[in-house]
Amino acid sequence: MDINIVGPKIYYEVPVDIPILGRFQITETLVVSWLVMLIITLLCIWLTHGLKVEKISKRQAFAEMLVEMADKFVIGNMGEKFRYFVPFVAALFATSLVSNLISLTGLRSPTADLNTEAAWAIVVFVLITAQKIKAGGVGGYLKGFTQPIALLTPFNILSELATPISLACRHFGNILSGVVINGLLYAALALASNKLLGLIPGAVGDLLSNVPILAIGVPAILSVYFDWFTGVMQAFIFCMLTTMYIANAAEE
Amino acid sequence: MNTLGFFTSTLGFLAQDAAQEVAENQDLVTIVPWTLIAQLCNLFIQLLLIKRFLFKPIREILEKRKAAADAAIGDAEKAKEEALSMKNSYETSIRSAKSEAGEIIANAQKNAASQSEAIIREANEQVVAMKAKAEKDIAQERRKAVNEVKDEIGSMAMEIAGKVIGREINEKDHAKLIDEFINNVGVES
Repeated sequence: MDINIVGPKIYYEVPVDIPILGRFQITETLVVSWLVMLIITLLCIWLTHGLKVEKISKRQAFAEMLVEMADKFVIGNMGEKFRYFVPFVAALFATSLVSNLISLTGLRSPTADLNTEAAWAIVVFVLITAQKIKAGGVGGYLKGFTQPIALLTPFNILSELATPISLACRHFGNILSGVVINGLLYAALALASNKLLGLIPGAVGDLLSNVPILAIGVPAILSVYFDWFTGVMQAFIFCMLTTMYIANAAEE
Repeated sequence: MNTLGFFTSTLGFLAQDAAQEVAENQDLVTIVPWTLIAQLCNLFIQLLLIKRFLFKPIREILEKRKAAADAAIGDAEKAKEEALSMKNSYETSIRSAKSEAGEIIANAQKNAASQSEAIIREANEQVVAMKAKAEKDIAQERRKAVNEVKDEIGSMAMEIAGKVIGREINEKDHAKLIDEFINNVGVES
């Protein structure tokens, strides 16, 4: 039995070669990303329709709680002066969370594609660098690489680059591991149920052995960890590290 | 992955025009520049959407509620201040009323005291005057009585003497003698 764990499907490729960037592909990642964005936006619209000042509904209380939690998280980690980062971190968290959890529906998570996390990590890297330059000026930023001694400059550059790479790969690796484990598990369960039901003699056994009966229920247990726990955890960690890195960069 | 059939079919019309249809998978771990850029844009679009559809309305409503609460607190404070000022004015008026009452009572007491004193003094004076008058009256009466008695005794004495000596004594001639006699009697009596 072959087990194929592959990347996202490519639905369409724009047949125009652009130097360096290559061809634009509409992949599963992008399509599901758009779906994720749609879900989040519709959720936001649903949560915030018919807002009232007094006698609020549970829905509004929940929406207000979300906003206050985002405020508390960002301001708690970064301080009051970074209040303007709240929508960014909230968008990052929401996108990451919904992207991770959408695998529960059987879709392929956009976060199971390194491009997604790489894009986020690049944004975070730019923000970190911007904060460093804002805090110490371009000279101070460049000088920071030669600290404490000039000999360490290559290592400093490496560690600077390692930040976004580790950020992206941590998230991607965790989600991909879920995909891999799930792929292996479904294959294994299909094989197991094939062998188990194959024990039934005759045509009935042949027919039933094609139904991966064990695949019902069992993966749900693992999905508690690989989808729910990892999904929520990684979204949280990504946002936590983002806020920490940016706040630290501003302090230097 | 059947769920994706919908997307595949919607994208189908694009695929028909395509010069080259792709039905393969991307590598498991790879960086595709365009996908990366698209995801970058997606993040920013998501940021704008979440800002517009979640943060803006919620912040507005929170702001409104804060304003309403502030207004309510302001009103309550104003009412409290008013009540305090009213209480103060009441207290001052009560205090002034009390002091006024005290004054009135004090005045009344003073008046009463002075009046009673005056009455007592007057009574005393009256008593003294009455006493003096009575004494004077008594003295006068006494003198009168004494004089009467003197006269009586004088005339009696003369009568007796007249009877004794047999002739009438001229009152005028012997007035001196009689007075002397009476005075001697008065002193002895």
